[in-house]
This record gives sequence, C-alpha cells and structure tokens, in this order.
Amino acid sequence: MLKYVLQRGALALAVAFTVSLAAFLLLNIATDAAYAIAGEEADPDVIERIRVQYGLDRPLMVRYADWLGGVVRGDFGDSYYWRKPVASLVAERVGTTIKLALSALFVTIIIAIPLGALAALNRNTWVDRSALAVAVAAQAVPNFWLGLIMIILFAVMLPLFPVSGDSTWRHFVMPAFVLGASSVPAVMRLMRTGLIEVMESDYIRTARSKGYRGASLLMRHALRNALLPVVSVLAVQLGQKLGGSVTTENVFAISGLGRLALQSILGADIPTVQLLIFLFALVFVAMNLLADILNAALDPRIRIG
Amino acid sequence: MKKHLLRGIGVVAILAAMTFGSVSLAGPADDTLNVAMAAEVLDLDYLYTTRREYIILAQLTDATLFTMNPETRGIDPGVALSHEFVDDLTIDVTLRDDVLFHDGTPLTAADVAYTFNWVVDEASESHAHGLISRWLERAEVLGEHSVRFHLRAVNPLIIRDMAQRIPLRKADTYHQGTEVDRDAMAINLIGAGPYRVVRFNPGVELVLERFDDYYGEAPAIRNVVVRNLPDMGTQQAELMTGGINMMFNVPLDVARSLDARPDIDHLSGPDLRVSFIVLDAGGLAVSGGPLTNLKVRQAMNHAVNRPEIAEFLMGGGAAQPIHTACHPVQFGCVQDVARYEYDPEKARALLAEAGYPNGFDLELWAYRERPVAEAVMADLEAIGIKINLRYVQLESLNQARANQDIAAYIGTWGSSGVADTALIARVHFSDTSDRHLSGDAEVVAWVLGAEETADQAVREELYRSAITRIAEQAYWVPLVSYSADYLVTSDLDFPLDDDGVPRLQNARWKQP
Repeated sequence: MLKYVLQRGALALAVAFTVSLAAFLLLNIATDAAYAIAGEEADPDVIERIRVQYGLDRPLMVRYADWLGGVVRGDFGDSYYWRKPVASLVAERVGTTIKLALSALFVTIIIAIPLGALAALNRNTWVDRSALAVAVAAQAVPNFWLGLIMIILFAVMLPLFPVSGDSTWRHFVMPAFVLGASSVPAVMRLMRTGLIEVMESDYIRTARSKGYRGASLLMRHALRNALLPVVSVLAVQLGQKLGGSVTTENVFAISGLGRLALQSILGADIPTVQLLIFLFALVFVAMNLLADILNAALDPRIRIG
Repeated sequence: MKKHLLRGIGVVAILAAMTFGSVSLAGPADDTLNVAMAAEVLDLDYLYTTRREYIILAQLTDATLFTMNPETRGIDPGVALSHEFVDDLTIDVTLRDDVLFHDGTPLTAADVAYTFNWVVDEASESHAHGLISRWLERAEVLGEHSVRFHLRAVNPLIIRDMAQRIPLRKADTYHQGTEVDRDAMAINLIGAGPYRVVRFNPGVELVLERFDDYYGEAPAIRNVVVRNLPDMGTQQAELMTGGINMMFNVPLDVARSLDARPDIDHLSGPDLRVSFIVLDAGGLAVSGGPLTNLKVRQAMNHAVNRPEIAEFLMGGGAAQPIHTACHPVQFGCVQDVARYEYDPEKARALLAEAGYPNGFDLELWAYRERPVAEAVMADLEAIGIKINLRYVQLESLNQARANQDIAAYIGTWGSSGVADTALIARVHFSDTSDRHLSGDAEVVAWVLGAEETADQAVREELYRSAITRIAEQAYWVPLVSYSADYLVTSDLDFPLDDDGVPRLQNARWKQP
C-alpha cells in the first residue's frame, strides 16, 4: 500500500512537471509577456526595458531551468502583474476556491444521490426517465450560461442572492449550484447503475426474505455498496472543481484560483500560470489516488499496490 | 387551490427577497458611485502603469502640474499656476501654495523636482521614463513654490506630458534611505487628487473617498467604488440590480438593449480611438508580396465599406468612417488627403491591373471587435482576396508582429486621449517600431521631425506631408473612429468629453 502511494506520488510529480513544461513552452511561444505587462499603448522602449527587467530576454530553456531551480528551493518566483511572490498570491486565494469546491460538491451530493436512488428504485418509469432527462440537461448546459440564467432569476428578477463577489456565504450559493450541477449527471448515473446492480444481488434478496423493505432495506443494506463507485467519482470531481472553476469564478467575480488562472493566462503572467498548472495537475492526480484508496478502504475485496 | 398555491409561492418569494435580499444598492442613498471595470486594477501608481483604466483612476487620485481641457483641447493650470520658457531649453514653473497630499503634507517644489528627477532616472524603471527622458535633463528647486526644468531637447509635447503623464509624488516616496522601493505607491497611494484611497484589494475592489482638502473643484459625489467584474453579463446584472451605477466600453447591442429599461441610460460620446488595417507595404513579412503593390493597397482601401461598419457595428452616433492614419480631431491630422470611397468594382479593377485578377491569399490578424474584423474580411473576400482571419489575443499579435510574421493586421489606437497626431504617428511610423511596415524613410523623417520643434505651424506642415503620403500610398486602410459607450443608472448625470476619457470626478446625482 505504502509503495503504491509512493509510486503514485512520484507519478503525480512527474505529471505536474511535464504539464508545467508544456504550459511554459506554449505560453512563451504564443505570447510576449513584455507586451502584456507594458499594456496596449506602451512605448517600444518601455517594452524593451520590461523585457530586460523581467529577464524575458534570456533563452527559453535558461528561464525554465531558472524556474525549476526556484521550485526545488521552494521559490515559485514573483508574479509579473501583482509584483509579489506567486506562492503568497495563490495562498491568498486558495481558501476561496476550496470553499467553492466543497460547496459545489455538497450541491452535487444532495442532488445527484437522491436523484440516482430515485431513478434506480423506479427503474424504467417516468421518474427514471425524468431523472435521466435532468442529468442530460445538466450535462449539456454550459456553466457560464447556467450562471447567467441563475443571476437573472435569483439576483435580478427575484433578488435573493447577490450577483457577484465572495464576501459572505450568500455569495457562494449560486456559484456552488452552477459548479455542482455540472457533476450531477456523472454521479447520478453512477448512483443509479450501482443501486440497480445492488438491488438485484443475492444479499438484497436475502435481506428482503428477512423482511427488510423500503427505506430500511435501502439505508441498511443497499446504499453502502451502491455508494462505493460514487465515492471515488466524487473525489475526482472535487479535484476537477478545485482546478476547473475558471468559468464559474469569472461569471460570479469570485477571487479564487480559477479567476486567477484566467487573469494570468490573459496577462501572460507566466510564473503564476506555471504554479497554478503545477498545482492543478498535482491536485488532480492526488484526488485520483485518494479515490483509489477510498475504494480500497470501503471495499475489502479491492486491494491496491 | 392552484391560485392559493401560486399566491403562497409569491408571498414566500417576497419574504425571502426581503430576508435575503439585502443586496448593497449603489447610488445617491449612500452617495457612492459604484463602477465596474472588466480589466483588473492591480497597481495604483500611474508612473508604473499605462493602460486605459489607470488613466481614468489617476485622474481621481493624482494631481499634475497642468490639466487637459477637453473642451478647448488646450492646457489649464493644475498644481502649477503658470509656466514660462526662459529660453528654448529652460522652463520655470510657479506652483500653487495651497496643495496638500492626501496625508496632509503640503506639496512644494521639492516634491515636484523629486518626482520628475525620479522618473527621468533610469533606475526608476518608470513606464513614463522613455517619454520624459526625450526632453527632460533635470528639475531644479528655485524656491518653495518654484521649479526650473532643464531640457535636453525641444519638444512640443512637454506641457502635455506634464499634464497627462506625471502624477506628483512626495519627495523620497520611492526611497527608504539607500533602499529603492518602486512599488511604494502601488497599493497605499498618497496622491494629491480629488479622491483619496480608502481601501484597495488588487484585482477585486478599489474604494475612494472625496479628499476634502483638494485644492481644485470638489467632486459632487463623496465615494467612488471601482469593482473588477470580468464578465459583461455579470456587469449587466449588477447594473440592473443597482449593484453598480456605471459600465464602461459597453458593446453596442448590449447598450441598446439595456437602454430600453427606464432605470438605465445609454450614453455615447466620441473617442480618440481609431481602427485601421496596417499593410506590409515594405515587404517585411512577405518580400515582394502583393501588399508591396500600390494598386493592391488602393484596391483594399476601396473594398472596405467604412460607413456601414461605423453605423452598424461601431454605432453610437459618434463612430465615423476615417480616411487618415490619425483621428480627425487630432492636431496635425489634415483631412484633405486621398480618399478611397467604397467601390468594390473599382477595387476589383485595381486588383486586376495589379496582376491579381483572381485575388490572392492573405492572413489578416485581429485582436478586438471581432464583428468588425469579420466585416472587413467579407469585404475583402468580395473582391477576390481570400482571407485567413487570425483572431488572437493582443499579446500573440504583438509577438507575431515583432517576429515580422504579419502581412496585415487590424490595429486600434487610443492615443491616451491626447488630441495630437504625435501620439499615434510616432509609434506607428518610427524606424524603431515593429508597427511600422511601410518602410518609407521620408514618412519617418517627417513624423520624428514634428516632435523636434515647438513651432506648431512647422509641425502641422510636417504632419501634412506624412499623412498625405500615407494616404496616397495607401500604407494603411483607415477604418473608423470609435464611440465611447457607457451604461449608467438613470439617477446619474455623467458628462462625456470629446477626448473619450471618462472623468468620474465630474459625475453627479440628478436632482429628484
């Protein structure tokens, strides 16, 4: 087990570094950070001075090696835009993103699991079909569109929640729903399939013969096994939400890592993009690892390593 | 039953709205003007920034020696009461004695001299250094309220630069003993403008309060809050719910649509920004390519339907077709030059004469106003030029242009709100600029020459030569001037100026 975790940890680091190298090369090939920092109407001599000042006149691989050396020492460099250490910039914003990701996961759980269970228990009825329709719709709707529709409904027409910002819990309600809704289809379908499979298994038949029915049968016997695959998917979904809330954070003007990522990409703030991509890749791989470990912990038949 | 249920839902909704709906309302109630900006505000020190948002904010927080008068397009006194040219290379400036910085410190000649000497010092790494070091040698304190500027060269834009580019700082602002701190004013700005900074969260929110000891006319509104809202849809929702009072740079369709609401007004005024296509007439990207042929360039000029682009895509009434490589209201932007009216037949004929009866392939780069880029593309394709539209981020376009990979691009330029052709000509027609694709040395000489004399008549003649040649040789396809479009809540009176620079300090609430 420990060996497996260490192997996967090393893999995570390798993935993160590979992704960061790819991002570094792509960003530098596609954009000139000196222009971005200077602004649209800057004089050419200002741009040149910035190029020298930020070391952008050095060869690409020298700059990457420099960055890598810094990472080994725990120094991720300074943001070109915010002119402060990237690590502290990320640290300031990571809490907001975690808050949003966990809220979104909560929304996913409270919608997808009951909906999946309801669909499974009413298989091939209108309830099942309706639940599937909801899932398909949620998958088809882009986050930015759902976000704007929610703003129109619940902030403009019916002013229940603030349009944008992140200073109170009320600011997180709509973004959490938007971000959480995108995971509903995957979790709901897995829940439905898992529960159908479990409900047809021998031990459930045995439980029924012992007189278990309805909620007690579901809660005491069926749900635990049906939730097994769901838990691992939730872990992966959490990883995606921690790194993939770019659209939602921008629509709702939430100052988290997603918004920081977009700002940094558009502004060619290479050190910030580097750290964020490194971090997102690490989190994603770590969440996959967590999913494996959780599966093993919940199901003694699964052994990893 | 159904009726009762609906009524019940309605009551619950209203109660919920009353309970949760404590959305902060901007406006006269708390004398706070809330404005949204899509681009992040990250640094309050205009000596270290260049973008449009910072020009707007610097007018609120900073004081300058002189101020621009948008009506007369002349210069008014600011912190300086007067100035006098002692000789060609010496200017004496007399200061007011009642100017205070936001921390209560009186502004003196030492502060003015420190600011200019710091900017002209290469160690400052100020974004204004290049501009100021073209003409300033050093500033010298003559008395408590008197400063002498020693110039290194004659320059017609000195007073304008003093008015627009150099916010005044307290002496030693950037020096802590021997240590230099260039970020000293980035967050905790101490200026001397009509508003002082109360709170600044970079990239999120800036809170300003009227500075009651401001030497000039006090703004009517006490507080200004600038919020960074990157999404235009979110901005609209905030405006509709009273979360903000003003949106900048509003697309025309959005502006017209929200203008239908009784509580929102669409304001549209002129802007000094112009758009144009720069053509690789010098063959820098494609040696001997089609664009090196004058008839091809003239054909492209005839092919583009500027009036319709101005009316239907830019709109607002203030957007107009242009025929020069500068904004018509800018000093030196003569208008009696070769004009290429929309005439696709003539364009096709010119292409055929040039040896391209079936057109040719062209990569056209663009980075903003995609509908305009697509309209231009359609017009050029209509005469047979097969366009590959490369719509990219500005930084990517800049990179490609620096590598001389661009044969034609749609550029835009706002001239920082300065009504002088120098602001657009130098950067596009100097031999050190990668924006200069014509390769015409005479144009370069005229443009640079116009910045080496303070004689306005001579300058005008030099610009006449340059602008006329650019039009004759069709180095550019000038497109349209912009309009500045805003959406504001209808309780706000926001006067628009001809230079397109929004001056939030002039906003006031309408009387009920």
